Amino acid sequence: MTGLSIRLPRAKKHRFQAVTAFVFLVFFSAVFIYTFLYLRHDPTLTDLDRRLLGMSLQHPFGTDQLGRDVMTRLLLGGQQTIGYSLLALIVALLIGVPFGLISGYQRGIVDRVFMRMGDAFLAFPDTIVAIVLSGLLGPGIGNLVLAIVMVKWVSYARLVRSTVLAESQKDYVLIARINGLSPRKIMRKHLLPHVVGHVLVLASLDLGKIILLISAFSYIGLGAQPPMPEWGAMLNEARPYFETRPELMIYPGLAIVSVVLLTNMLGDYFRDRFDVKKEERQ
Amino acid sequence: MNLLSVEHLMKTFPGGKTAVNNLSFQLNKGECLGLVGESGSGKSTLARCLLRIESIDSGSIILNDIAIEQMNERQLYPYRKKIQIVFQNPSAALNPKLKIKDSIMEPYEQYRKELSLSHFSYTSKEAFVQQLLESVELPSDVANRYPHELSGGQRQRVTIARSISIEPELIVLDEPTASLDVISQGAVLNLLTELRETLHLSYLFISHDLAAVKQMSQRIMVMKDGRIVDQFNREHLFSTDRDPYTKELISIF
Amino acid sequence: MILSLEQVSIGTREKKIVKNVSLSIREGEWYALVGQSGSGKSLLSQAIGRMLSPNLQMEGKIFFKDKDLLSLAPKEMRGIRGQKLSYIFQDYQGSFTPFRTIGQHFEEYQKAHGNRDSKGRKAKTIEALESVGLDDTLYNRYPFQLSGGQLQRVSIAMSLLLSPDLLIADEITTALDSVSGHRVLELLAKRQKETGCTILFITHDWRHVKRYASRLAVMKEGEIVESGGKHRILDHPQHEYTKRLIQAAPTLGKGLPSGIQEVESV
Repeated sequence: MTGLSIRLPRAKKHRFQAVTAFVFLVFFSAVFIYTFLYLRHDPTLTDLDRRLLGMSLQHPFGTDQLGRDVMTRLLLGGQQTIGYSLLALIVALLIGVPFGLISGYQRGIVDRVFMRMGDAFLAFPDTIVAIVLSGLLGPGIGNLVLAIVMVKWVSYARLVRSTVLAESQKDYVLIARINGLSPRKIMRKHLLPHVVGHVLVLASLDLGKIILLISAFSYIGLGAQPPMPEWGAMLNEARPYFETRPELMIYPGLAIVSVVLLTNMLGDYFRDRFDVKKEERQ
Repeated sequence: MNLLSVEHLMKTFPGGKTAVNNLSFQLNKGECLGLVGESGSGKSTLARCLLRIESIDSGSIILNDIAIEQMNERQLYPYRKKIQIVFQNPSAALNPKLKIKDSIMEPYEQYRKELSLSHFSYTSKEAFVQQLLESVELPSDVANRYPHELSGGQRQRVTIARSISIEPELIVLDEPTASLDVISQGAVLNLLTELRETLHLSYLFISHDLAAVKQMSQRIMVMKDGRIVDQFNREHLFSTDRDPYTKELISIF
Repeated sequence: MILSLEQVSIGTREKKIVKNVSLSIREGEWYALVGQSGSGKSLLSQAIGRMLSPNLQMEGKIFFKDKDLLSLAPKEMRGIRGQKLSYIFQDYQGSFTPFRTIGQHFEEYQKAHGNRDSKGRKAKTIEALESVGLDDTLYNRYPFQLSGGQLQRVSIAMSLLLSPDLLIADEITTALDSVSGHRVLELLAKRQKETGCTILFITHDWRHVKRYASRLAVMKEGEIVESGGKHRILDHPQHEYTKRLIQAAPTLGKGLPSGIQEVESV
């Protein structure tokens, strides 16, 4: 123990952001749930007599070009956007993490295959691969999710693999082996806890990216198809009306921006909370 | 009585280095057999071979009259609980994400059904952990701490507690005090001797510190470049029969 | 007295780590500072070269060859540090730049202290390597190609290259095994006799010093608890801590701790 250093409360700084983010996300979730229970307007019912109305008590955000209530579509669109993003993320994790564990700890043929596959996948930027896959599979939100999963699982597997490689050399893993623990048990008890922190940070930052990806793809017509309310798709549909009713683009745009911002804030907080370097310094 | 017999053990690494070169020795029940050598002499490789975490090229390792060098993991499983190891670096030997009590309980929880303990008795996890901590002279609140909250000497005591928890027959101690400061070193060596006597353990004590080896062991082997160049009882350390290399080591200390 | 510390204290605003340490080292002697990790001994050695990290404050006086080191301008200090006062550290790999050869290290060091003659520099380097028992094939090797013992010997060669008055060796054998460590110490002793350099040797293990040191000081939690001649301290320790320190380390038991053979009673 030589020099002392002033301890910076980084996590504290981001804690405020994280709490704010969390509160907002809870708020949004509550509103979504409310929407389920008290759906006042059918989001897909077209009513050409009531198109492009402004704000009113009955339609707080007005109606869109087909007479549908914008607020309902916004809220449901949120469910779609965030819901499918989470789905893509979770499936990518469920594939990537076990793969990374086995690849990093047991090595062997799984590792060799994975490394070659991984190199192939990572040679292309994920957006391009997602476009190609979507093109091959056809438009639709399900195919888009599939494309994203296929691209994202590799980065989680790699992250897990490198963490596992580093830790499995340590004596405590050796001692677990000496004590007869099975590889499954070692991966679960000793290696998984090390991986959780890193994965959580990457995942929370990725959530924002996936949301943007899904919105962007839906915007260009490769993701969610009409009449499904999805923010990116809504942006696209509102384009012709930008001069007369710009708010029809602004609402979904703002929604996307704010949710992505919130997930990034959460990601920053996790990154500080799970600061590996800090632990190692102790 | 013969606990461990090693015969003509050979281990060469890819790349040509022969770490263990036709090594043979015996270890008796209840004794502490010391192994002295420089870094690079092959002593740590030997330890790993004995624990079957390193493959061997040829030779035999006989534990209680049973040859274990050819066994696969499944066959080896019932014998693993008879040998434990304590490594040099206590920080690497404890999972930083687990509490001390979870690390200490690992061997017991693994072998629980096949054990018959004479010294420790299991009533509950907490009580068992307390017994173990007491036996290595650590306070009971250590159980719920994490490794980074303990000093080097305390962490090493934890790894020792873990290794004695299933009352093995043999413990391989690979430079157990090299990472500790002088005062902790002395205390840990004394603790190890006490434990050996109370729990009727046998030790293979590996170190580059001849003085520590002499303090701990009844018999001493000297290893150089993968071979055993000298083997003697502790009382004969200063005898003129000693190998020149041994004499060189003596002159250093 | 080549080095004198008077009431030196080092610490942060909240806490003192080194407390009122005074000691003096005579020219040409081997002085040992013994203490456990955390005792403040390394901080003290860094303070002498004015290499403390900026958030630490220091009080007291440090006199090197009658110059008050704390009053010197940075430029003057740079002239002393590395030339009249040199260091060897515990971390032998970390003391070298991984992507420079051993020869390049020597070159840089000499150039930094004003040696402009390239042939002369190389000659001095080869001579220095030979003085520590290494041959010139090491000139073009990289640090990772050498063993710990070899690297420490290179460090000794470099630190004595410019004929310093005081060499501070901070735990230089702690990371080596006994045999390599012994060889390094024997070499250092030999070079000390040849150059007449003063050595401040910092260690946690008094057994390293019993052969070479003439005087020593024992440090505990930032304070010097005992100091004096080697034989007096090791064979007749006064302070409790000194006694514990001596008892803790196992010895082969021949002779007294300071190395004197016990006289057979007649």
